[in-house]
Amino acid sequence: MAHSDSVKASVPSYLKEAQMIKQGAEARVYRGTFLGRSVIIKERFPKLYRHPEVDEKLTRRRTTQEVRSILRCRRAGISAPVVYFVDYTTHCIFLEDIIHSVSVRDHIASAQASEQNPQHLQTLADKIGEILAQMHDEDVIHGDLTTSNMLLVSGAEDQNMKLVLIDFGLSYISALPEDKGVDLYVLEKAFLSTHPRTETLFERLLKSYSASSKKSSAVIKKLDEVRLRGRKRSMVG
Amino acid sequence: MHLTQDLELFPEYTVTQLLFKDVKNATELRKMAVNGEIKGALINPSMVVDAFQILVAANKAVHLHKSGKMKTRSLYSEIIFNLSPTNNISEAFKRFGISDSDSAVLIVLVHNKDETLNIDNIISKVDGQQIAVDRVSDLNDVAKIKKLYKVAPQEEKCGSLLDAVVCRMATKDVA
Repeated sequence: MAHSDSVKASVPSYLKEAQMIKQGAEARVYRGTFLGRSVIIKERFPKLYRHPEVDEKLTRRRTTQEVRSILRCRRAGISAPVVYFVDYTTHCIFLEDIIHSVSVRDHIASAQASEQNPQHLQTLADKIGEILAQMHDEDVIHGDLTTSNMLLVSGAEDQNMKLVLIDFGLSYISALPEDKGVDLYVLEKAFLSTHPRTETLFERLLKSYSASSKKSSAVIKKLDEVRLRGRKRSMVG
Repeated sequence: MHLTQDLELFPEYTVTQLLFKDVKNATELRKMAVNGEIKGALINPSMVVDAFQILVAANKAVHLHKSGKMKTRSLYSEIIFNLSPTNNISEAFKRFGISDSDSAVLIVLVHNKDETLNIDNIISKVDGQQIAVDRVSDLNDVAKIKKLYKVAPQEEKCGSLLDAVVCRMATKDVA
């Protein structure tokens, strides 16, 4: 089948030349050039440990959900990378490369290390709360909220700081406060374990979230409930 | 004046764009595109934000062409279809293709890199003035584009109009 071989050859041989920047359990991330622009390519490679049919269905679903959520966020004015091209045969997404940016994770880590400007981190917490409130008001559940999945674009500082959300692979649409509460719980766990002594900073984030979201009280209530679940937690009603 | 870009994913292919204004023979040009005298896509520049938008459409068209998954019958009609934010083929041709009364046209050619493209031949067929492709903003209708692609002011907070348009083009199969 020379015809399909040449198709399969295009994206994979392109990826061979591209620069791989990360390999996760789910996907490999590359940087490359596409139509003259710098792009990030997210390749959801086949998982051999899964049944092939299940793998194909699941991978395709993850890809389409990711792409749908990004579009939904952008339509509402929430920054997420622009999708340039999706190859549904190899499950590759070609996205805008957010250059001159640093992950919020790295940013907080270095700000804490140099111990300067606590006010700056307060503003960051405010901005994160704001953007998550907007996202949840659009009924988009990110599914994998961590500070590594938020990018801070360098240049504009303080009030004008720009945050970009990335990695919508586990995202879905839901209006339920429970799902939004869990989304925030995931962030809280990731935040507090990655960045020591940031409890007050996270409090500030939640305050900003409450102030920015129209439906926040139900969500925060659920967050409190979810916190009472889980490991080493008493489920005594 | 014309713009050429290689398709990184399909190294044998190159996309060349030519832009013309004050075109007087749109009817003839349409006929030439249909009978194959001009082997290219004739696009209405009023709906084009930037040359990149055309490249995204062309890249997707070549990809689908190579995998045998095009929705339309030819590579060139597929490029026109890919520009549209909807999956209605005839609507895409109506809005993005050229009509007999149009006075501007953007010609898109997809060819082999090694093929010596006779650009002058194509230019001679157009009764109009060729201008640089990056001047397409002189000929486009931003309000019409925003309306057709349904771009709200809030979306422009996180990106340009081109970003909004390209994102819709890339995701319309699942949106």
